[in-house]
Amino acid sequence: MAVFIAKLCKIYEIAEAKVEVLKDVNLNVASGEFVAICGASGSGKTTLLNLISGIDKPTSGQITVFGEDLIDKDEDFLADVRCHKVGFVFQSYNLVSTLTVAENVAFPMEWTRKPVKQIEVRVSELLETLGVQHRANHFPAQLSGGEQQRVAFARALANDPPLLLADEPTGNLDAHNSQKIIDVFRMLKANRKTIIVSTHDKQLLELADQTLCLENGSFELQ
Amino acid sequence: MSETSFPVNDLLRRKLQTSLTVVSLVCSVASTLFLLLFSSRMGLGIALVAEDTLTIGLLAVFSQFILFVGILIFVMGAVLTSFIVFLMMTQRTKDFGLIKAAGCPNSLVFGYFMTELLIVTFTGCVIGVLVGFGVDFAVSRISGFSVYQNPANIWFAPVVFAAFFVLALVFGTKPILNAARLSPIKALSSTHYFGLTMGNQLKPFSASRLTGKIAMRSLFRRPTSTIRIILLLAMVFILLTVSIAGSIIAKDTTTSWVEKTAGKNVVAIAHEEMAAQYEILQSKFFEAKDEGGMFDYLNEKIAISNETIQQLKALSSIVNVDARLILKEHVYEISNFTIDPETLATFPVGDKREGDSLIIGVEPMDLTGSWFLQGRFLENGDSWEGVVGDSVARKMFSKPLVQSLRVQNQSFAIVGVCLDPIDNGKVIYVPIKKLQQITGKSAPNIVFVELSSSIDRVAALKQIKERISGTNQRLTVIELDKVLGKSLVFLENAWSTLMLLPLFALASATLCLIAYVMLAVDEQRQEFAILRAIGAKPKTIVNIVAVQSSIVLASSLAFGLSFGVIATLMILVPNPVVTSFTILQIATWLTIAVTGMFFLSLAPAVKFARTALLRIMT
Repeated sequence: MAVFIAKLCKIYEIAEAKVEVLKDVNLNVASGEFVAICGASGSGKTTLLNLISGIDKPTSGQITVFGEDLIDKDEDFLADVRCHKVGFVFQSYNLVSTLTVAENVAFPMEWTRKPVKQIEVRVSELLETLGVQHRANHFPAQLSGGEQQRVAFARALANDPPLLLADEPTGNLDAHNSQKIIDVFRMLKANRKTIIVSTHDKQLLELADQTLCLENGSFELQ
Repeated sequence: MSETSFPVNDLLRRKLQTSLTVVSLVCSVASTLFLLLFSSRMGLGIALVAEDTLTIGLLAVFSQFILFVGILIFVMGAVLTSFIVFLMMTQRTKDFGLIKAAGCPNSLVFGYFMTELLIVTFTGCVIGVLVGFGVDFAVSRISGFSVYQNPANIWFAPVVFAAFFVLALVFGTKPILNAARLSPIKALSSTHYFGLTMGNQLKPFSASRLTGKIAMRSLFRRPTSTIRIILLLAMVFILLTVSIAGSIIAKDTTTSWVEKTAGKNVVAIAHEEMAAQYEILQSKFFEAKDEGGMFDYLNEKIAISNETIQQLKALSSIVNVDARLILKEHVYEISNFTIDPETLATFPVGDKREGDSLIIGVEPMDLTGSWFLQGRFLENGDSWEGVVGDSVARKMFSKPLVQSLRVQNQSFAIVGVCLDPIDNGKVIYVPIKKLQQITGKSAPNIVFVELSSSIDRVAALKQIKERISGTNQRLTVIELDKVLGKSLVFLENAWSTLMLLPLFALASATLCLIAYVMLAVDEQRQEFAILRAIGAKPKTIVNIVAVQSSIVLASSLAFGLSFGVIATLMILVPNPVVTSFTILQIATWLTIAVTGMFFLSLAPAVKFARTALLRIMT
């Protein structure tokens, strides 16, 4: 099992009010499976992805990613999981503005102490696959939204993680750029990568093996 | 939305940034005011203590030191204030563009930000002045330093307030004006945000690792703020170097001046009344003492006979006998003419000043030591030459080395200026034969003997006491080491009080650095959050900040240390004594200071690294 979630709850305390974003969520994702999560804004999609990646901590419940229990683990452990097992593509790209495109893709590999030559080959390979090799020495501020999103994909795949999380990857893109991203997903699915994506994109939903819809913090099977 | 409610609401909503800026401003104004109040009290304190103690030459070294440190403190505070407001307003460039892009007229946006700047600056300066006085009051209550008995110079408060308020406005207005000239699209662009330069100017550091890469880029791509913080810390290190190195070098130098006047293994022999008088003359350096009427130096009963001197010379434990004649005389300044080496024109030097001074007749050949600040000391063959103490030189002569003095209608050409704690430097050394000639007295009234370093001191002193009591029962031995020890303790205490300044300056500098790192971490908040979200461990963030902090500290230390050492050696202390131990002491102090600053500067990064990731990202 790639991802196992049981009775997951997340409550945010805002001032004196309590907002229950996720209620007793259960989810099983098999290795190599493509899961699409849809739902209205504020339904808890981003929160769920944040919890699976260890960026956020649940109020209660259980999360296991490739056999690693994420509950009550320290920041170093969670950082290791994100570095080796999970690739995350954020909705707002989140590239490091002080690093070039090539360096943005290279830096997750530097934490794994890979040889420089191997990093260079991998960066070149990923940028070519995603069609942004001509932008290798540019900074994120000099790229279009579509290009930034593809660089974010390259970075998420740098350490070849078994699980890819993507938060509305086509949400900010035009049709042309969306198509390029969908092609990337198609390629990743063909490579049997486990993928969980939150999206409203029809093409992506059609590509998914399993589609789940979050409503008021709980799944409703499609 | 009214023109004034927007800036107020905006400041209140941006609590973290507003409070960081105000706190940094408060730290800057308060520490500057406190340090100025403290140094003025210490300057006053030393002046009051020194009214009847310390030689004038030493007092000049102290005063020059405190003045220089005071100026440095003020400049440091001014640079810090200008840096903080510049940083604050530069960070607002993006907001400026945002408001302009929404259609707000240029003049109105300018008004908003000027109002914000005025509110922040005024609040920071007012609270800073209050905190400055508060810290001063608290330190006076807690520490019980003797310098706090002196009144505080409250005029520093309006001066510091006005100077820093104006500086903050001038330096804060500049980035607002720059932002006003930018088109909205440029103001919104991240390549123009916070002084960020275009990326193409920098090639990737292919060999370096991630931490160094991000740290270096962040520094180089914000050249304005990086240069400003380096400049600010360089000022801090100049202040620290001058305070620490200056205090140590000045202490060692002045101590060596005082030590030289006594010589090693030297004791004095005199009639018990003369011995008591001599001790009073020596102790005037560290405590005000009343001589209790005119002492008769020429009284026959205190004269030391030739027989006694011969008996002392015969002792194997004594290597040198230096017989002196001490008396008090009225001394007159003799004016002179000197020639300008460039124009060859002659011009008069000096006046017709006069006063009482101690005159000490010595045999140059028998002197147990040599001590002088300028010119030379008395040598064999000198006859109508004299060496004046620094207090006499400063009070009675304009250019002592080209002038003469007159004692009992006889002139002595001044060949040197010495620092001597006897009678607080109000002393003149002349050849004993000439003094005997003009006073008609042949017998000396005090004898200095240098003991052999290879013999047992206690046994030697016992032998001397037995021998002199055989010739005159009322002769006694004065152990110069004891009085010298008291003089040195007094000097040590004076310099130790001054060493409090670098301590406070260090605390203030550390606050500045922490404020800078807090602002830097806040500014890089989003990037650090991304790094952590992608898998970087919290220590990676601390490492990046550590690299930035060490680069900034190392650059400013190199700059500040060089200028500080030059200022200390060339301006503050004449003829400095610098031994390898002195250098080791200075290096140890500065290393402790830099290491402490470095680790404390990491506090904001450590706190940031411990913050929950989602909290940072949202």
